[in-house]
Amino acid sequence: MTTGRVRAPEASLSTLPALLLVAVASAQIVLARTEHLSPWSGGGFGMFSTADSPARRHLHAWALRPGMRSELDVPPELEMLARRALALPSTARLRPLAQALGRIEREEGDPNEAPVEAIVLQVFGVTYDPATLAPSGELLRSIEVPVEDE
Amino acid sequence: MAWRAWSEIVGMERADLALRLLAVGLLFQPVGNRWMRPLAMLIAAVLLLSENARRSAWTWGALALFATVRIVLVWPTSDNHAFLLAYWCLAAAIASLAADRDRVLAWNGRALVAGAFVFATLWKAVLSPDFLDGRFFAVSLVGDPRFESFALLATGMERDDFLDLRDLVREHTDGVFVPWDDMPAPPPRLFAVARALTVATIGIEAAVAVTFVAPLAAGFAWIRDVLLLAFCAGTYALAPVAGFGWLLLSMGLAQLDPRRRALRTAYLAVFALVLVETRWPIFASLVAWLGS
Repeated sequence: MTTGRVRAPEASLSTLPALLLVAVASAQIVLARTEHLSPWSGGGFGMFSTADSPARRHLHAWALRPGMRSELDVPPELEMLARRALALPSTARLRPLAQALGRIEREEGDPNEAPVEAIVLQVFGVTYDPATLAPSGELLRSIEVPVEDE
Repeated sequence: MAWRAWSEIVGMERADLALRLLAVGLLFQPVGNRWMRPLAMLIAAVLLLSENARRSAWTWGALALFATVRIVLVWPTSDNHAFLLAYWCLAAAIASLAADRDRVLAWNGRALVAGAFVFATLWKAVLSPDFLDGRFFAVSLVGDPRFESFALLATGMERDDFLDLRDLVREHTDGVFVPWDDMPAPPPRLFAVARALTVATIGIEAAVAVTFVAPLAAGFAWIRDVLLLAFCAGTYALAPVAGFGWLLLSMGLAQLDPRRRALRTAYLAVFALVLVETRWPIFASLVAWLGS
């Protein structure tokens, strides 16, 4: 870079912000490739590069009971966990959401129903048909988390 | 009197002017959640009013820490803007410790703009499966309400047809899409507009990336400033994310050759233009005017 040559003693410290940018953006690419991190998130400057933004992803949560499966709504208090899981649907992000849903289902679910045994979470991304713009869902990750007795 | 004030602003040391612009940007668009925002505004006000604060590594270090905590608390949902703000505040803190603050800040301003545009170009041109074929803009023009006025104006679609198409692109499907009866069809002009935006976006972003990375001779360095100014003036008329534009302008100004007074004036003018563009929706006003 010709804009102001930085002297050697200062060089290592003064290049730190740029090195951090490159490190975080490179890690973001790796996470996008391996853990389905949305290119819009994670500091990799992939915003406005793809329709696969967290806002266009969706998730389903299911409570598993012996012989039955029922879909759950994500309550407002878990909205942030859900947003984080949509942006980065890794097991580490999905598990806390599933555990929180299981806890709520155990405490506030219908007492006449059998106790919930597990929570299943499925996160879908979206791809668009180039001619019709019709959206198809792509399953990015599905996990089943047992609900433990407390 | 106004002319004198303007001359004083244009005549400021470039590092100081760049950091003042950053403080103004943070005041206009404070970052963080409900409890973080007043603190961010307070720090920005102190930075704007006090030269000692602007020269203190502590102040910038605190703001860098604040920006980093904000990213960590909501990881990974922060915008690129939040990351760039943290890097730029860290650069300001490090520059405050250096023997030549102006030079260190200039180097970082150029390096950070280069990095941001290199990765943005990499995503759009190489990594993304749906940018170069125009799908991203076709979907966003219809599905993102921020683009609605521009999309109606540029495609000439009737609003009802447009909203039908929006329902389609916002549909959540588990698996392969099953076509509806009477499914709305996107008009050819939507794809033409999307292709034009795709070419324009990749062209200007790649050009900014190349010129900020390339070691241009002093006589040609103005090219990178002109391109960055063109990017900011054009982009934020469409995408109302002023904070990101102001950050880029603050970085651009920090690395601008101090002898180029006309370009310095242009940076300040585009900073004001981004404020106007993002506070006053040009395209919505045009659509309303044409419809009346």
